[in-house]
Amino acid sequence: MAAMLELAGVTKHYRTRHGVVRAVENVSLRVEPRTTMALVGESGCGKTTIAKMILQLEQPTSGTIHFEGQDIATMDRAALRAYRRQVMAVFQDPYSSLNPRLRVGTIIAEPVLAHERKSRAELDKIVAEVLDVVGMPASAARLYPHEFSGGQRQRIAIARALALRPRLMVLDEPVSALDVSIRAQILNLLADIQAEFGLTYLIIAHDLALVEHFSSDVGVIYLGCLAEAGPTEQVFAAPRHPYTKALLAAVPLPDPDHVLSEAAATGEIASAMNPPAGCRFHPRCPYVMDVCRVTAPVLAGTPHATSCHLPVID
Amino acid sequence: MLLSVRDLQTHLHLKRGVLRAVDGVSLDVAEGETLGLVGESGSGKTLTGLSLLRLLPKGSGRIVGGSIKLDGQELTTLSEAALARDIRGRKIAMIMQDPMTSLNPVFSIGDQVGSPLRNHDIARGAALRSAVVDVLQRVRLPSPADRLGDYPHQFSGGQRQRIVAAMAIGCTPRLLVADEPTTALDVTIQVQIINLLRSIQADTGAGIILITHDLGVAASLCRRIAVMYAGQIIETGPVRAIYRSPSHPYTKALLAAIPRLGAKRARLTAIAGQPPSLIDPPTGCRFAARCTLRMDKCAEAPPNVTLSDGHSAACWKLV
Amino acid sequence: MGASMFRGLPWLPLLVIAAVGVCAAGGDAMLPFDANELDLGIAFKPPFWLAGGDMTNLLGADNLGRDILSRIMAGSRVSVIVAFYAILFSGGIGAAIGMIAGYFGGWVDTLLMRLIEIQQSVPSIALALILAAALEPGLSTVVVVIVLTYWAWYARIIRGEIMALKGRDYIAFARVAGVGTPTIFVRHLLSNIFNTLVVLATLQVGQVILFEASLSFLGLGIQQPDISWGLMLADARQYITNAWWAITMPGIAIMLTCLSSNIFGDWLRDRLDPQLRQL
Repeated sequence: MAAMLELAGVTKHYRTRHGVVRAVENVSLRVEPRTTMALVGESGCGKTTIAKMILQLEQPTSGTIHFEGQDIATMDRAALRAYRRQVMAVFQDPYSSLNPRLRVGTIIAEPVLAHERKSRAELDKIVAEVLDVVGMPASAARLYPHEFSGGQRQRIAIARALALRPRLMVLDEPVSALDVSIRAQILNLLADIQAEFGLTYLIIAHDLALVEHFSSDVGVIYLGCLAEAGPTEQVFAAPRHPYTKALLAAVPLPDPDHVLSEAAATGEIASAMNPPAGCRFHPRCPYVMDVCRVTAPVLAGTPHATSCHLPVID
Repeated sequence: MLLSVRDLQTHLHLKRGVLRAVDGVSLDVAEGETLGLVGESGSGKTLTGLSLLRLLPKGSGRIVGGSIKLDGQELTTLSEAALARDIRGRKIAMIMQDPMTSLNPVFSIGDQVGSPLRNHDIARGAALRSAVVDVLQRVRLPSPADRLGDYPHQFSGGQRQRIVAAMAIGCTPRLLVADEPTTALDVTIQVQIINLLRSIQADTGAGIILITHDLGVAASLCRRIAVMYAGQIIETGPVRAIYRSPSHPYTKALLAAIPRLGAKRARLTAIAGQPPSLIDPPTGCRFAARCTLRMDKCAEAPPNVTLSDGHSAACWKLV
Repeated sequence: MGASMFRGLPWLPLLVIAAVGVCAAGGDAMLPFDANELDLGIAFKPPFWLAGGDMTNLLGADNLGRDILSRIMAGSRVSVIVAFYAILFSGGIGAAIGMIAGYFGGWVDTLLMRLIEIQQSVPSIALALILAAALEPGLSTVVVVIVLTYWAWYARIIRGEIMALKGRDYIAFARVAGVGTPTIFVRHLLSNIFNTLVVLATLQVGQVILFEASLSFLGLGIQQPDISWGLMLADARQYITNAWWAITMPGIAIMLTCLSSNIFGDWLRDRLDPQLRQL
């Protein structure tokens, strides 16, 4: 059976005046229906570029993206329209994601209007329904975005993404702009909606605790390459890639007796314009070997896959 | 006591009305101690920090009451000139969240790190240069002597935050106010800066106020924690007391609302609703509207209850 | 809504604009005197508050003894017509080009930007001379010259706004949801640059009136016996020492109109912004 979403060898290079930026390099992923795949990594690692390619806001330089077995790059007009109504997005910044000039009702109705002919009354009904799903009163439809707090705006953005009952939602850092006490509300809401509507999520995040809590599968990305991927429980319980280990060791826990480790990854992330040869993590890796400086490792293992020259020790 | 703040009141005069951003904050910082000022956006934690240096928004911000004493010296009544000469950058220094905006892109980093030393007449000429190299070494910037002429954009995010820290500690301040110093950084870089702050403190014995929304960062760095909500400190205590036996319902709820690495739960315990407006705040407990333990009494301002040595919280449930 | 819709309405500027509008619409029937009637007997007659003036010719008379108030009222017609058409067309063309250049970027942007740069390096007076020679001096030529001069100004500013708007996540969402490009232009781009357009247009009112004045002064614009404020300035220029009011009165008319439209534009911008409306 075909996966909901399958990326095979997806690569994205940007040509700039100063050279070629190798934003994403040979990333392959499988997202099964009704699961949540998280892409995690540091800023500039390419995780948002991957999301943009899935949303067809960018085209891959090479590689393919299949949605339910269909290559999205070769879809005809009708198939692409169908794809557009089944794949929606929620973005990070609740301020930039809602047009300040439109009423909330118009904002939420936007995807519906793009695909269906509906009367005013039908639209109002759809808007009221999804507002109710995200825990907002129907009266919110008449107001403008600035009359709401960040958390409420994010609910509105979720309602908009939900209006056409899509199958796949790309969540790009959906709570990182929100306050701690609001984050839990939104994460719980997203979990409820997933269960209720049978959604598949692809979430982009940098917060490892959130990823562990929220996702069923995870892909750890370093400088455009997939370092490690697999079921979240396995990856977090027994990380294999030195980068994953370094990330996990660096997360400060809300526990005064927890000791942070800086030794796991020294230095800083290199530029995607001029990535290191061989394994891209090798300049920061405490276990670096000669082979790492020359040969790029290949992602291997299933379901828990690692891209590292070190032998796997479980 | 190094720093002693009593009943601080800072107001912001906005078009919509007077915002009571800091409403009766009292706190103490001992020499060599790190106090974590923890709260959400709009809780008043940043304005509390800025009030210490009287760096409030021009025109709208004003300290309207309370006292701030540094080494016994009252700062609220100090003239602007004396504050700029003796306190700002000299006895109290600040590290801001975004290293990109705290550094001026058109001056070399040698110039910028040297400027507080020059301004406060600490070093000049060749001595200034060696002092700048020395302070950059202390923040562990690689090969500082060769890089004095480089500009901010030639450094990475983590290195820039090190340079900002170097600017702050150049005059060996008594108190360092660090406002979300790691929030703009990636987690592997964040841990480096946390360790840097720790070593700065060991070196200089300065007191540190760490302003943050991240309970993890606060736990890793602070000895004591003060939790702010809607302009007030609602609970304060030693770090273990706050994390192991939080007493205020807000602190408890906050700790329950964050996902924890290695402790997966089916569902996070969310806090319903949102903080009150500080233009016309409720007269009683400000958390009452969101509190699951609310009683009739909460309509009155709760007393500050001492629970154990140095641990207190403002809640009627604890009386 | 109702009353709050008009909160802070600038009454005085609105009154000025209304007066100009009424004069322009009212035509000759409203004038106290025929605006072109010569009466050399009252040449250089001062306004009523000065010695020698009276209530018959409130603002005095010019070198040929024409009533200045009547001429200002009659001249408002040209100002209003020129301002309306010039702003409509230069704003419309400029905004459309700026939106296309800013949104699509790439070679489309490069091409349109070159066009804008070429336009902005042509001296507008030279352009006016050529056009006046090719067409013939008059109201429509004035409008064409102003449109050809100002569209690039709108295009450049609107392009900058669009480039900033393009990165907003609501545009990204609209594309993800399959909203068509024309709809994105109207719903998301136009709605957000509308304020800028209103402000630019009100700022341009003053410039257009002055531009018309200089063209008329050079003989390339409005021709006698038609009346415009610019032409009045040009006519009275040489008599500034013995009859300052002949040049000052139309000057004040221009100033009041420009100032009023700027203040009114500011108010309108605040009203149109749902965020500022609440404050």
